[in-house]
Amino acid sequence: MIASVDDLHVSLRGNPVLRGVSLSVRPGEILGLVGESGSGKSVLALTLMGLLPPDAHPQVTGTVEVAGVDMMHGSAAAHRGVRRRELGVIFQDPMTSLNPTMRIGRQITEVTRDTDRAVQLLEHVGVADAAVRLRVYPHELSGGLRQRVMTAIAVAGRPSLIIADEPTTALDVTVQAQVLSLLRDLRDEYGCSVLFITHDLAVAAQITDRIGVLYAGRLAELGPTRELLAHPTHPYTAGLLRSRLSLTTPRGRELPTLPAEAGPRGPGCAYHTRCPLAVDRCATEQPPLVGDEHQRACWRDISDMPDGTSAAEPGELGPAVEGSAVVRLHNIRCDFKLRNGWRRAGTLKALDGVDLEVAPGEAVSIVGESGSGKSTLLRVIAGLIPPTGGTREVTGGTQMVFQDAGSSLTPWLTIGELLRERLLPLKLSRAEQDQRVRDALTKIGLPATVATARPRQLSGGQRQRVALARATIVPPAVLLCDEPTSALDASLAASVLNLIRQLRADLGMAVVFVTHDLAVARLMGDRIVVMTGGHIAETGPADDLVSHPQADYTKTLLAAVPEIAI
Amino acid sequence: MIGFLTRRAGAAVAVLLILTAVVFVLQQYSPGDPVKAYLGANASPAAVAAERVTLHLDDPLVSRYGHYLSAAARGDLGTSYRTHRKVTADLGAFLPATFELVVVAFLFALLLGAVFAMLRTIAGTFVRGVLLVGATAPPFLLALGGIILFYAHLGWLPATGRGGNDDGFLLTHSLVTGDWAQFGDGLQHVVLPALVLAVAPAVSIGRILRASLQQTLSADHVRTARAKGLTEVAVFGRHVLRNSIGPGLSMAGLQLGFMFAGVVVVEQIFSWPGIGNYLAESIPAADYPAIAGVTVVLGAVYIVTNTVVDMIQALADPRIAL
Repeated sequence: MIASVDDLHVSLRGNPVLRGVSLSVRPGEILGLVGESGSGKSVLALTLMGLLPPDAHPQVTGTVEVAGVDMMHGSAAAHRGVRRRELGVIFQDPMTSLNPTMRIGRQITEVTRDTDRAVQLLEHVGVADAAVRLRVYPHELSGGLRQRVMTAIAVAGRPSLIIADEPTTALDVTVQAQVLSLLRDLRDEYGCSVLFITHDLAVAAQITDRIGVLYAGRLAELGPTRELLAHPTHPYTAGLLRSRLSLTTPRGRELPTLPAEAGPRGPGCAYHTRCPLAVDRCATEQPPLVGDEHQRACWRDISDMPDGTSAAEPGELGPAVEGSAVVRLHNIRCDFKLRNGWRRAGTLKALDGVDLEVAPGEAVSIVGESGSGKSTLLRVIAGLIPPTGGTREVTGGTQMVFQDAGSSLTPWLTIGELLRERLLPLKLSRAEQDQRVRDALTKIGLPATVATARPRQLSGGQRQRVALARATIVPPAVLLCDEPTSALDASLAASVLNLIRQLRADLGMAVVFVTHDLAVARLMGDRIVVMTGGHIAETGPADDLVSHPQADYTKTLLAAVPEIAI
Repeated sequence: MIGFLTRRAGAAVAVLLILTAVVFVLQQYSPGDPVKAYLGANASPAAVAAERVTLHLDDPLVSRYGHYLSAAARGDLGTSYRTHRKVTADLGAFLPATFELVVVAFLFALLLGAVFAMLRTIAGTFVRGVLLVGATAPPFLLALGGIILFYAHLGWLPATGRGGNDDGFLLTHSLVTGDWAQFGDGLQHVVLPALVLAVAPAVSIGRILRASLQQTLSADHVRTARAKGLTEVAVFGRHVLRNSIGPGLSMAGLQLGFMFAGVVVVEQIFSWPGIGNYLAESIPAADYPAIAGVTVVLGAVYIVTNTVVDMIQALADPRIAL
């Protein structure tokens, strides 16, 4: 075994994060570790590296072994030796994970101690002009190149295990595909093992040999990738697979979601409050992980699992309203002047001649990669950025919902105050205001008591719901959404998407929905607009565009979307 | 880089113009009559009136300011009403003393600031405590305490003056010429006033540096460095320090400017023959050419230090383009 943990318990700041995990990484395999945020997957990686943050006062029991060295006990020098000789690490965000003030050559030679080898490595991971690139700083590279550099550093010491913690989550989908195939090639070539951590089952499906599904600090299921995806044996895995949004998810229905976790965790299975199969025993007794090659931790038989599709009610796609457009953009151009000190260093054409019309009540998805101009376009519609050229007509009000609801809500105001702020122009009485706030909260599925809470007391999904309530408490003609679900776990994301569709149907608003995810774009829009390099590559009805893409760029984008093929 | 320096020079000229203009406007509305100070209290009204004409004091403000600027462009900052010498000569005599005092104080501030930020032992906690207490005390109290303890009580350090022949770049000169007796004496004299001047800036620099070190220590790229299997010393030296130095540097530049302005009190208490003392004597005498001269020097020092700080920052962080 390259690395193994046995009955591993880790508490940080007194809170249990891992609660009895046993797992081994075999030589030469890519082992996927899949779980939602808070499941403990990154903590497991840090434990293997012996780098649990000391200020979180970690309490660890069980055994942790990497390349035959005990990473729990023993000297710091011994752990450091293991990190230097046996481990390579790739973290999520290559911008922050590379030292911004050190040339990348130096960052690689820190491990190789040899410049020629650094050049070789860079060429190996697909960085062109490697010898020249040694001299650049991380900020001078694109996100994809940075992650390649990170990968070069990870394999520089010829490690026996690469730990990749969400290595593609911050990357565009086309770059993600490249980095995944690079990782697989490196594994084949160096014969090392890879522990691949991700929240996305489909990404894990692309690259892994085995998958472990982590839920609330315990393995729910562990098995060979194909078999686990084709025949999930744990209700959580089955639920994850079912609630995953793909290019084939039915558009006309409410999106399937997992129920939220209710109540405190007891001695039993942590999933039981969300589980359709739960019986009394599940609440009181922890199921052990049993099985040979395909292991599961569940008291129930998966064949009793209800068929999820029949439970979903037909969802309401909004009314297609005739009438003159609420948004009318013609030949919109938007230039950003790049400055180097006070000097003009050039012009970035964020938008380069964009035409767009949105009919009343229509839902339009704008999809594109980072730098395509999709968010700029949304801000032009909102009137937040004056366009450099072209004409913009927007009738009726617009409201915007942002990606990070946490930072878009003023931290010191209560939810009630945040919502009432929007009612001020209506000059309502206090009682009427309170009534409107209560109604708005009910509409988004939160109890009225939330009005007295402050944003930090809410979960990520609840905050995004509040952001939606704020946007729609006075219904706008157009609701503008900028990647509102990309920071949320899959199931939560689906429930927020359902809510947006519901609000659109109830209030008759038009929706412009910006996303990097074609599957989400297809589900949220009557029409999809594909953007790249500041212009529109293609636009068409959602299903047509996905099944019969015309533009080459759309085809590339579609080909890069990770799907679970069973 | 050349563009940056040109812009800074332009800004410097603008700042100096504004500062001197302010001094001139203040002079216009100032109640004191500089001529009385210039001629002595017994001068006859006729002599005063005649002298006012000679000094162009009755000319319109704009015309006087114009004269001042055209002379300043030729390197002439006028004649002090009080000392009857050229202001540039006075500055030449007093500036070196202040310069050496502030430079030593600045080095103390950097050193103590670094200790404040980095020392993680009991000793570090002790130093932090002492510095914090010192920084909350007004400088005159600190100076008084220092004199009583180190001069009157322990007899370790002198309380006044610079030692030796008292003028020019005393420390620098003795260091360069290898006159160690003189250097040692000069050093003994400068320690106490420099420490008094350094305590508050040391705390400001130390606090900022400490916060930025702590932030960098938890940064993702430091986790990467640790994952490479580097020793903690290598992690700190190569990956933490350079990324944390920026805020500390800006604060240090700012504090250096403040220290030049703050020498007035310290020089008075320690009878230090610098421009702080000079300024303190010029203000009651309504000696506006001297006041304007000191203002120009302080303004220039301020701009130069901040320009140098910006350049060092650009060197430390490749993402900053000048």
